[in-house]
Amino acid sequence: MPLWTDYLLQFLVAIVATISFSVTFRVSPRHYLASGLTGAVGWLVYILCAELLAMSAPVATLVAALPLTACARFFAIRHKAPITLFLLCGIFPLVPGAGIYYTAYYFLRDDRTLFANKGVETLKIALALALGIALVCSIPLKRPKN
Amino acid sequence: MASELFEPTLDLILDAGQTLLENGGEVFRAQQTMEIMAHSLGVEEFHVYVLTNGIFASARPAGGTSISMVRHVPRVSIHLGRVEAVNELSRELAAGQLDLIQARRKLADARAIGDTPPRAERLACVVGSAGFAFLFGGMLPEILVAAVAGLLESFVCQWFGKRRINRIFTDIVAACLCTLWALGVSRLVPMLDVNTATIGALMVLTPGVALTMGIRDIINADYLSGAIRLLDAVLIAGSIACGVVLAWLAARGLGAIVW
Repeated sequence: MPLWTDYLLQFLVAIVATISFSVTFRVSPRHYLASGLTGAVGWLVYILCAELLAMSAPVATLVAALPLTACARFFAIRHKAPITLFLLCGIFPLVPGAGIYYTAYYFLRDDRTLFANKGVETLKIALALALGIALVCSIPLKRPKN
Repeated sequence: MASELFEPTLDLILDAGQTLLENGGEVFRAQQTMEIMAHSLGVEEFHVYVLTNGIFASARPAGGTSISMVRHVPRVSIHLGRVEAVNELSRELAAGQLDLIQARRKLADARAIGDTPPRAERLACVVGSAGFAFLFGGMLPEILVAAVAGLLESFVCQWFGKRRINRIFTDIVAACLCTLWALGVSRLVPMLDVNTATIGALMVLTPGVALTMGIRDIINADYLSGAIRLLDAVLIAGSIACGVVLAWLAARGLGAIVW
């Protein structure tokens, strides 16, 4: 399978997975596609950074959080809806679920080095995610009225 | 403003704020929305302080004594459709398209927006789990196992939610069950990658909401509310980890007995 079809497939699955969160959070159906795209853009950038550019998971998360949040802001303005609708659903592919799992796994295996590694990495990913969202959310779009 | 209208107006404003908080709106959005509504409805001397789980407001009618109101919001269940509807209500109010009675009717409509049917919610959980199992590199067996694990999780969450069992315990049980299921299948199908299948199913439980809201609260300088949410995120992550550990321990114990 050529490389780009693999990434296309990942992109499409990420859209579907993100939309499933929109259903759980009772977003109105007219925003499904927008929040799906938000999540998929984040995931695609993450996977490209991690696999092609060989970045570490926290750095890739930071880089991916930027276009993701930008997308959420773009859709929020275009659909005249709160940004939360797109951000809450779109963020899920980047949340360090694997990190939580492996931290617990190595804790149980009593492998202290890997446990500490995974724990710190999970924390780093969460911080990177926070930083990415904070950076893009803080850019002012309009000059505040005085 | 006429004094007999003052209290109903204040009530409406606080109801709107409460609806936002209950359904997953951010703290600053609730605060901002209530201030905009008060301004558009002509409530003077309106002051409000919002926390993750409470609203404190006071206002003074012209020539009267000031009235204060407190709302407690102990339970939050995410319903972004309602958040959007209240947001639209405040925008229309600010544009001067609504009066008090229309606004009250619109708010009642917003609060009455129904839940997704449980079946659709279960389907979403199944699809989400299967999708994430694929994204984390799973092949067909992992995807199928994750899908069933997602179904198990959604049953646990719905059943426990109906009985108002706390979130921490629900997460522990859901994470434990789906890990146990994956481990059980791996006994029969040794080629199954338990880690990938479990992670796919666990993604549905991860504290993405608490993390994102916490960050956004902190950016907006609501440090106390942000800290509450981040603590929530850490607790959820911890309880998922507990569930996984319990499942591995149980499987090890069972495995020693059966095999």
